[in-house]
Amino acid sequence: MNSVIEVASLRKSFTGRDGTSRAVLKDLDLQVGAGEFLCILGPSGCGKSTLLNVLAGLDKVYEGQARVSGGRVGYLFQEPRLLPWLTAEGNLDFALDSCKVEPSRRSELKSRYLAMTGLSDYRDYYPHQISGGMAQRLALVRALCVEPGILLMDEPFSGLDEITARRIRSDLLSIWEETRKTIVFVTHNAYEACFLADRILVMLGGAFRQEVRVPIARPRSYDDPAVFQLSRDVIKAFGDEIDREPAPSAIPLTEPSLVDDLDRHAAARMNI
Amino acid sequence: MLKLLSMVAAVIVWGLLSLTLPPEIFPGPIETARTLWGEVVGGQVWTDLAMTMLRVVGGLVIALMLGVPVGVLMGLSRRAEGILDVWVMIGLTVPSLCYAIMAFMWFGLNEGAAIIAIAVTAAPSITINIWEGVKNVDTRLVAMARVFEASRPAIVRRVLMPQIFPYVMASARFGLGIIWKITVLVELIGRPNGVGFKLFYWYQLADMRQVLAWTLLFTIIMLLIELLILKPIERRIFAWRPQVAV
Ligand SMILES: Nc1ncnc2c1ncn2[C@@H]1O[C@H](COP(=O)(O)OP(=O)(O)OP(=O)(O)O)[C@@H](O)[C@H]1O
Ligand SMILES: [Mg+2]
Repeated sequence: MNSVIEVASLRKSFTGRDGTSRAVLKDLDLQVGAGEFLCILGPSGCGKSTLLNVLAGLDKVYEGQARVSGGRVGYLFQEPRLLPWLTAEGNLDFALDSCKVEPSRRSELKSRYLAMTGLSDYRDYYPHQISGGMAQRLALVRALCVEPGILLMDEPFSGLDEITARRIRSDLLSIWEETRKTIVFVTHNAYEACFLADRILVMLGGAFRQEVRVPIARPRSYDDPAVFQLSRDVIKAFGDEIDREPAPSAIPLTEPSLVDDLDRHAAARMNI
Repeated sequence: MLKLLSMVAAVIVWGLLSLTLPPEIFPGPIETARTLWGEVVGGQVWTDLAMTMLRVVGGLVIALMLGVPVGVLMGLSRRAEGILDVWVMIGLTVPSLCYAIMAFMWFGLNEGAAIIAIAVTAAPSITINIWEGVKNVDTRLVAMARVFEASRPAIVRRVLMPQIFPYVMASARFGLGIIWKITVLVELIGRPNGVGFKLFYWYQLADMRQVLAWTLLFTIIMLLIELLILKPIERRIFAWRPQVAV
């Protein structure tokens, strides 16, 4: 498979207020094949958004190589980043105009993805008139309707209720199976990663600690026990990583959130 | 409705206060209105009012043309900010009377000098407003637009301008408030007509009825501009904004 994303020895550090520089990305190597669904799983603050900013070409100050080919890059930010003075539809049109999508295809693209995310009735609403989760879904519509070849997604479903998130995850998978975009999906939710990905990279403190291939056949079912089993193993491996972490000061705090996520999912699975 | 009530209340307070002094020194609202009506019917009012309006509008337009670009520049470039901020502060500190005197001394007692003095007085506060606005631009939205391959002009027009526009609006209003006052002053010292000239003229004749009548006229015009022009523009442009409940 030919790679559309190639990252080699990527290093990035931020300079703090006191002038000390802090490494946020430490020698990352990454290849993503065309049409692959990659999840990057890691706790808060480990550098996931920073990596995506580099891949999206927004952040150009780094050492090492980062090369992205294979068509337009779509980026779903961690926050919705909608233009508040435009309606939902106006926001989509802004993206479609900017990307110069053929006018004849626009209305079909908009309708399709609005329907998928359940936003068809909200075209004329301003961002402040829709809920946070709806805004996030609208941002997803905006990223999808410009038909990117590579889609970078930064914790897109973490603000959604479980039922909606579940439905959109499945929809995302069917879109992906249909169009075979390359997707880099950042999450701190192990269950979600196991359900979606071909491959999971576990990230901790600015480095990839582990690679997990997901052998589960597609199409996948959200309730597949194999997904559950794998996510447990991933978290367990994660825990071992954290135990081995030499500087445990900041990181262990984030581990419970991973477990919480899993518990919530397990609970959701039993209840629904 | 509340606005109307508060205005009525103000007029009543004025009436009551005016009872404490003889009417030649502090005329009440009815008497003032009657004097004003006499002036309006006499027809002289319109030239003076038109001249004042001309100076106000001319001054505002030039002040915006000076203040907005400088403010944008200062918001965008650290270096420009470092060089210019002390000048903006100086510009803000110099009393408007000094600008008026300098303009009349250097450019002569003419309309151009009056408008320049008015514009230069108002420009620094407009600059400060715009500068603040540009600094508050949400760069995350700019990043979003860049990811969607928006061209530079498109980003300026569709992402930056809508964010800066509220500040332009606010500074125009703010500038207008300053400009009304400075215009009257400029007319007083260097013009043969206008509301300020008339105020001074009647003051020299010690005719308080006329002084208050012209002040009233001026206030009414100002309110009308605010309510009939500025407010509707603002409401239209900011229709998308949520109502703030405090
Ligand atoms: N502009 C910046 N200046 C300085 N430090 C930054 C900047 N952006 C990010 N960082 C630091 O880099 C680290 C990684 O941040 P990043 O946003 O990539 O985390 P993340 O993995 O996306 O976390 P989360 O899951 O909470 O979104 C953090 O410690 C953060 O403080
Ligand atoms: Mg992040």
